[in-house]
Amino acid sequence: MALQLFKIETVEVASPVTSVSFSNIPQGYTDLKVVVSSRGALTQVYDTLWMQFNNLTPNYSPTTPTIRLIQGSGSSVSSSAFAGLQTLQNGANATASSFGTADFYITNYTGNTFKSISVDAATETNGATAYTNLMAALWSDTSAVTSITLFPASGSTITTNSTFTLYGVL
Amino acid sequence: MAIRSLKTGTFTRSGMAGNPVIMPGSYESIATVTANGTSQSLTFSSIPQTYTHLEIRGISQASYSSNDYGAIGVRLNSDTGSNYTRHVIRGNGSTVPVNGLTSTTFAECGDGAYLNTGSTVGASVISVLDYTNTNKYTTVRGLSGVDNNGIGAIAMGSGLWLNTAAITSLTIFQQNANFTDKTTFALYGIA
Repeated sequence: MALQLFKIETVEVASPVTSVSFSNIPQGYTDLKVVVSSRGALTQVYDTLWMQFNNLTPNYSPTTPTIRLIQGSGSSVSSSAFAGLQTLQNGANATASSFGTADFYITNYTGNTFKSISVDAATETNGATAYTNLMAALWSDTSAVTSITLFPASGSTITTNSTFTLYGVL
Repeated sequence: MAIRSLKTGTFTRSGMAGNPVIMPGSYESIATVTANGTSQSLTFSSIPQTYTHLEIRGISQASYSSNDYGAIGVRLNSDTGSNYTRHVIRGNGSTVPVNGLTSTTFAECGDGAYLNTGSTVGASVISVLDYTNTNKYTTVRGLSGVDNNGIGAIAMGSGLWLNTAAITSLTIFQQNANFTDKTTFALYGIA
């Protein structure tokens, strides 16, 4: 049986925006998947893209790791733990027309337990250095996920032609 | 009201009252290819342009006489030129090799092939996002792994095709040897 994946909403950025949101998320699925192809205006090769649930300030302290990352850069590998659900997106100094890609998978999003999230992402550019990331995260909140917001950590904008799609998974 | 397939355009099933509730999904099988032992590559051609993203899932084995694992590469629209970048991170149980290259001839999708005959196969899941979007270079991302009870690796690879053309064909290949007939890849369209 094919994966039971159902598109809920797609946002295609037509002009630069400071954030992208999915609101009033239907509560009838089991898991959620967010597929991202994005680029930001920060004048660096990469920028950090944060994900926030229910418009809440993340309810964890910087001393409590909630995300664990393994990352390859093309020449080195690193592993770290930190707070804040995030991924990388291409910045303005990445190769023109290149966009970072990421899949966020949010399990049991309507349940009354903490939410486990996995992320796999790549920020390809025409250079020897580019990042491939695998992340595991925990949102320490028993609330159902009713909205998701993505925004650059730098405060810059998300550029035109970036796309964000929310899927429900049965 | 009938349900219309994104792939074929044909109508199936009825949504009239009294019939079972139908929820059209966003993940649809497009094609499946199986190797016959005579080639190092498999191609999906004439890919419908009606989806948003593509996903390829497969198992693979190559007839290379070693007890090892090998990379799965992807080429787009039959482009065999040096028009790709690729990067990979892998773990083999003892080390974490990484690699990054520009001006290469394929996008990296990780170590999804077992390099020998027998019962072991590798597994791969490959994503191609926004494949019809002509404002973007195409990024390919793969997660794969092989384990042969001692030899094995898990890898995540990615690649950038430096071309904004819509993807109409996709070729999966293995560098070391021909795919055996235990190799199958399935292409899915995601709305």
